[in-house]
Amino acid sequence: METSDAAAMTHLEGAEEQLSRLFGSYKAEWLRERIFDLFTEPAYFPELLTARPCMLVGGRGTGKTTVLRCLSYEGQFVLSGRDSKATSSAEYYGIYYRVNTNRVTAFRGPELTEPEWTKLFAHYFNLVLCDLVLQFLRWYQLYTTHPIALPPEACALVGSALHLPLVSSLAGLETSLRANLVEFEAYINNVEDGPRPLLSIQSGPIDLLLEAVIQHPAFHGKLFFFLLDEYENLEDYQQQVINTLIKHAGQWYSFKVGVKELGWRRRATLNPNEQLISPADYVRINIPDHLSGEKFKAFAKKVCNDRVHQLRYADHPPITDIAWALPGYSDEAEAEALGVVGETESVKEELGGSATLHEQDILQHLSPLQLYFLRSWARVENRSLQDVFHAFRNDRVEWDTRYDNYKHALLYTIRRRKRGIRKYYAGWDVFTQLAASNIRYLLELVDQSLLMHLRNERPLSEPVPQDTQTHAARYVGRKNLSELEGLSVHGAQLTKLLLGLGRVFGVMAANPLGHTPEVNQFHLIDNGREIGAREPSEDEVEPILNAAVMHLALLRHPGSKLVAETDTREYDYMVHPIYAAFFEFSYRRKRKMAISSRELLDLIRAPKRAIRDILDRSNRTEEDEPLPEQLRLFEAYYRGGS
Amino acid sequence: MAVRDRPTLTRLYERVEDFVPLPGSAYILGTSVEQRSEHSTEWVARAGDTTFVRIIAQRSHEFDVDLRGIRRVGLRSGEQLSRLVREIGRPRVYLDITGLGHHIWAPLLRALLSTSAEVLAVYVEPSEYRFSKTPTEGEIFDLSEAIAGIAPLPGFAALTDSDNDNVCFVALLGFEGTRFAYVLETVQPPGGKVIPVVGVPGFRPEYPFHAYQGNRSALLETRSWRNVRFATANCPFSAVYVLQDIAAAYSGNRLKIAPIGTKPHALGAILFALSNPDPVELVYDHPVRAARRTSGAARLLVYHLSAFARPSLP
Repeated sequence: METSDAAAMTHLEGAEEQLSRLFGSYKAEWLRERIFDLFTEPAYFPELLTARPCMLVGGRGTGKTTVLRCLSYEGQFVLSGRDSKATSSAEYYGIYYRVNTNRVTAFRGPELTEPEWTKLFAHYFNLVLCDLVLQFLRWYQLYTTHPIALPPEACALVGSALHLPLVSSLAGLETSLRANLVEFEAYINNVEDGPRPLLSIQSGPIDLLLEAVIQHPAFHGKLFFFLLDEYENLEDYQQQVINTLIKHAGQWYSFKVGVKELGWRRRATLNPNEQLISPADYVRINIPDHLSGEKFKAFAKKVCNDRVHQLRYADHPPITDIAWALPGYSDEAEAEALGVVGETESVKEELGGSATLHEQDILQHLSPLQLYFLRSWARVENRSLQDVFHAFRNDRVEWDTRYDNYKHALLYTIRRRKRGIRKYYAGWDVFTQLAASNIRYLLELVDQSLLMHLRNERPLSEPVPQDTQTHAARYVGRKNLSELEGLSVHGAQLTKLLLGLGRVFGVMAANPLGHTPEVNQFHLIDNGREIGAREPSEDEVEPILNAAVMHLALLRHPGSKLVAETDTREYDYMVHPIYAAFFEFSYRRKRKMAISSRELLDLIRAPKRAIRDILDRSNRTEEDEPLPEQLRLFEAYYRGGS
Repeated sequence: MAVRDRPTLTRLYERVEDFVPLPGSAYILGTSVEQRSEHSTEWVARAGDTTFVRIIAQRSHEFDVDLRGIRRVGLRSGEQLSRLVREIGRPRVYLDITGLGHHIWAPLLRALLSTSAEVLAVYVEPSEYRFSKTPTEGEIFDLSEAIAGIAPLPGFAALTDSDNDNVCFVALLGFEGTRFAYVLETVQPPGGKVIPVVGVPGFRPEYPFHAYQGNRSALLETRSWRNVRFATANCPFSAVYVLQDIAAAYSGNRLKIAPIGTKPHALGAILFALSNPDPVELVYDHPVRAARRTSGAARLLVYHLSAFARPSLP
């Protein structure tokens, strides 16, 4: 290898490694300590700092874990520059706890009744929370060098609430509690043998412990937050146990809960007549609502710029603005990049021959995309080009509106049935729309774009070309589609549903004229088309739709009617735009169609028939649109259930 | 120390028929939908003075066993498991894990190792896996038909929490990459501390390549391909040694082990969990064994477990 080639390769590897470090570790769970260095405060952050319980709701990758971990005492310590004085004078201390499926599922099984499991889990959770507080106190002493001692009688009181042997110090309490946890573990592992250990009353020990902690001069007037992440991992009855704690949390502490949309399945406390109600009992922070549109763009830009500033490649100056590095196209410019000029050369010739001077002047000022629109309209309406042009000339207002409605949709048709890029997905604004308020998706898009750019041997001093960005967007869509399988036990159903819906919307996008353009949403209807066919029950459809929303295969928005959160049928559903580039349909939230419950389930069970039936209703057929190259991997699915 | 310098207390029989339990033994077995878990009547007759203890029904929390009459044994009952083991009352016990679910043989093994009996495990390799070992990228793997979900193995729940950053996650890999992806999603281990273990040599020479192919996405996504370790696919002791090496390399970390690969590797994980001085968390996704998953019976292996590890258990 030539020396210059070797140096270039070293630079490339170095840059790829940096990219991987700065952007590639999308998951907060993987970043661990570095999560704090890369933290950007979202706009809703101050709302989490009040004493009120908060439910932070958002899909995978919306930043719940990052925010909760940065609220934790360890996070605040690192964010303050490891300043022990800042720790001593902090107004709050957050104690982070991630709900571990492998632990909480130990508290179920036919050996005991649910009320018995409830008591055991409530006791276990008391032990866990007390243990977390004791760990914090130990940490606090270590990092601030302020010794913390609680009165012996307070320690004894907490100990006796947990049925521990007599203890008189924090260290004794911690040792004894750990031993008790080990004994409790042995009991759960032999739960049929009994005898049941003595159990604590719900929240009793934690109230006593934090009351004593707050009395200590170091913690006077301070707030304690329990930061519970992945609340959806709890069993239903376990959510009720913790809901009860949230509802009746004493004055000493509060809860900040991170949960996926629809993962909070039970709102009741252990008293079935008592519900957690917003805003009376908690503040609900729905991340997509709080971080949408321009707010998300600003937040995402700061997150990306903070990272991209640190990227060094050869002698090139660092990228200062991610939006500069990711240029997009206007619709007109994109049409030209897709080759619309070649498609419309004949239009001017055809119209120009018989045109008046005034008409020639109009023609001179029409963009290639407008000419393409007129030609396409004439073909679909089965009219002559002259006829359509005259109508256009005579009523510009109406035709300009029509053009505005269709011009984006037309971009999907210029390279219809051709190989290669058939639609560009490029530009910072487009990427933020593809990510749909999901910061992890946006980081993936930026990471892949820069990575492919470097691998194409292009310097970072040049913006990433639109075709590279499109390939990156398509790759990210495919990667997330393949990951769906492993996200939940029902991942395969979600993958199939997405493949089916993606194909339907892809075929519709390629053939928009004469139809409602940019259809990429659906709502459920009940009228099965087959006479006498049994309509699937809510029980069959709801879990799939809920899982699809929870794992971001679909986004849902309240429909036109005022709805309850649990009412599946009153929502509009949209395939997450991160998949738009892979299936080639519009990422813009536009228009919807109706799909019956039966069709929805058939997309999973008998996709070939279901796709045909749905397209048939909009007078389209799949045969008109051969499977795009990137979907051919899934041919076996698309042939299924014919 | 290389595995070759450590004892692998295994006797290998090229054909199932070549092996006969020693007289005066007990032989615990269950049958599953897999052909290799069955033993012929002729083979049983040849076993002579052997008490066959048949597990005739396996459920999530209990099993039915035929030992001088049929009875139910709870899996989360140390007392019931110990009573069964006492009643077997033979000085040498073979535990044939081929036809038993992990959730059945793991607690049984724990109970057996707490007695003074000589404990040997038996495993029959399949002659062929019937599912595609080389799934194409577009093939959709249905976890709901394959697993019941993450939950502790009975008797192995670990409730004591530890610092989440000080976790090292070890996955003993099989062919089904979606299972690896699912376990990763559930455990969410810290980046850089995911250690996959691939069965090398495999039951057949080409199997390690299938394991890489099947788990490719998750290996790339976590970049854990850089950390891969190898342990002989049909050897629990190799797995134990690899786990010991990992524990030494990541001392101060709590090990979380997902035994989602070969059964001998899972046996190694259980042996390691029972003998390791520090707590180990086993993460298991409880596969639902499909009929016709494998076909035929190839080699039979006998592992001398009590000669290897007899932990002091409560």
